Amino acid sequence: MPAIEAYRLARSFGSRRACWDVSFEVERGEVFGLLGPNGAGKTTTLRMLAGLTAPDAGSARVAGELVEAGRAGSARLRRRVGLLTESPGFYDRLTARENLRYFGRLHGLAAHEADRRGSRLLGRFSLGPHADRPVAELSRGMKQKLAIARALLHEPEVIFLDEPTVGLDPEATREVRATVAQLAAERATIVLCTHHLDEVERLCSRAAFIAGRLLAVHPVRELSAEGRRVRVDLSSAASPEMLAALRAVPSVRGARAEGAAIVLWLEAAEVAVPTALATLAAAGARVQAAVPLRDPLEEAYLSLLAQARAEGLPG
Amino acid sequence: MRAALAIVEKELLELRRSPLLIASMLSLPAAVVAVPLLLLAYLARAAPDQAVDFLRELYQMPESSSRVAALAAVLARQWLPLFLVLPIFLPILIAAQSIGGERERHTLEPLLATPVSTLSIVAGKSVAAVAPSLLITWLSALVFCGGVDLIVWPSLHRPLLPDFSWLFGTLVLCPLLALFGNATAVVVSARVLDPRAAQNIAAMTVVPLLGLLVVQLAGRVSLSAHFYGAFALLAALADVLLVALAVKLFDRDALLTRWR
Repeated sequence: MPAIEAYRLARSFGSRRACWDVSFEVERGEVFGLLGPNGAGKTTTLRMLAGLTAPDAGSARVAGELVEAGRAGSARLRRRVGLLTESPGFYDRLTARENLRYFGRLHGLAAHEADRRGSRLLGRFSLGPHADRPVAELSRGMKQKLAIARALLHEPEVIFLDEPTVGLDPEATREVRATVAQLAAERATIVLCTHHLDEVERLCSRAAFIAGRLLAVHPVRELSAEGRRVRVDLSSAASPEMLAALRAVPSVRGARAEGAAIVLWLEAAEVAVPTALATLAAAGARVQAAVPLRDPLEEAYLSLLAQARAEGLPG
Repeated sequence: MRAALAIVEKELLELRRSPLLIASMLSLPAAVVAVPLLLLAYLARAAPDQAVDFLRELYQMPESSSRVAALAAVLARQWLPLFLVLPIFLPILIAAQSIGGERERHTLEPLLATPVSTLSIVAGKSVAAVAPSLLITWLSALVFCGGVDLIVWPSLHRPLLPDFSWLFGTLVLCPLLALFGNATAVVVSARVLDPRAAQNIAAMTVVPLLGLLVVQLAGRVSLSAHFYGAFALLAALADVLLVALAVKLFDRDALLTRWR
């Protein structure tokens, strides 16, 4: 039985439709991406699935608990899911430990159990030395990791992460992504809401593209398996010998001539490009430029977005 | 119940670490206690006879009573409504932040994402606003009554306060009015996004009581025990209605999705 089954979820605010016809399934232990531009209805979908708001139409089953039209999910549902909200949101005058204790108690844990789990999570996210500092003194990255710890405190079956890296500096982004990757490696069921394609590519097995309505669900690994593409511009047309030499390079998955250019499919661009260029030079080619092309996930995203805009959807 | 207790403890811990909020909560009671005591001490020692005669006439003080005791009795009677303002006003300072403040700090969504019930949230936040407010009100009343008794002791040789009105006012009316102030603030802050605006709107509820104080100070009315009894019944009724309304308005969905 899937961890999440969403069927034709829809929600409006006044006359504005936030999302509609949102259907997908998430398997247990899967990291599922919810990808879309700002205002596409990602957070609205997440809030309905996390039991905070009610759908106007459609239904969902999350961790075995039902979400129905006109009725927000029950307290039992909220006990079984963890939500990382878009803004971390903590009580600044309380310490990191006190904040975790408070939310643990709201989840029904005894104070000592909340403290025990809080200390473990603080240690796990390298926040141990900051446990007794007021949250106001923590950096944005630390707060975000603390918010992830809060979402995990009651050991939920499903974790919803709403834009976990938004507004973070590169170092904090890397740390938070590493944390999510760690959770994914532990086979946690995660729904990751983002508009960062690289995040989806690194962390998710499948991604749903949403722009008001759900446009498509793609297996990310399959798209990524197509590898990176680079176009090599030559001074003259590519010869069959050049293509054959390129195809013999281990990190080159494929090579196709396109007039005075060759399009390469590479496993790891940073290793393969210098080798491929050296091979071409050895085969007598005069290379003018090497241009990285959009990766397949980006290609899929942008074409779906273009389709959404053509349909007048919130892309 | 455990969740409500957790909310109370957290709110009180935050209050303890907010010296400015505590100072603002103490400033009004300090003035309410200090001003009449200083006035009474002055009138008792150094007021010109003309001024005392004016007060005797205005408030129909008995001719037979001693000057100090009569002044103190009048002051005690006139000043009680102002003490009834405190339990309405003080919880508003805390409770108006209860929802708007959570929204402003982005803690509302994490709070509502927990399994804690609406009733527990409202109850926890209400106790945390009412309890310190009542404590401050009672301490202020204690200091005021003690101060008055200290001033009148040399001429009366017995305590003047608390009399029945003061006991009824502080022990029955104050808790009812504290609940009223708190519930008003919760209702307003559930509908008004800006916590400062919520605080200002809720604070308007003390205006009728201040009006009553002014009318009484002007010698137009003298509030009797019957009045306070009827007032208590009215306050209790308003409390029931407002608490029910507060729980109804504290709707997870509306709190998260309303933007104005």
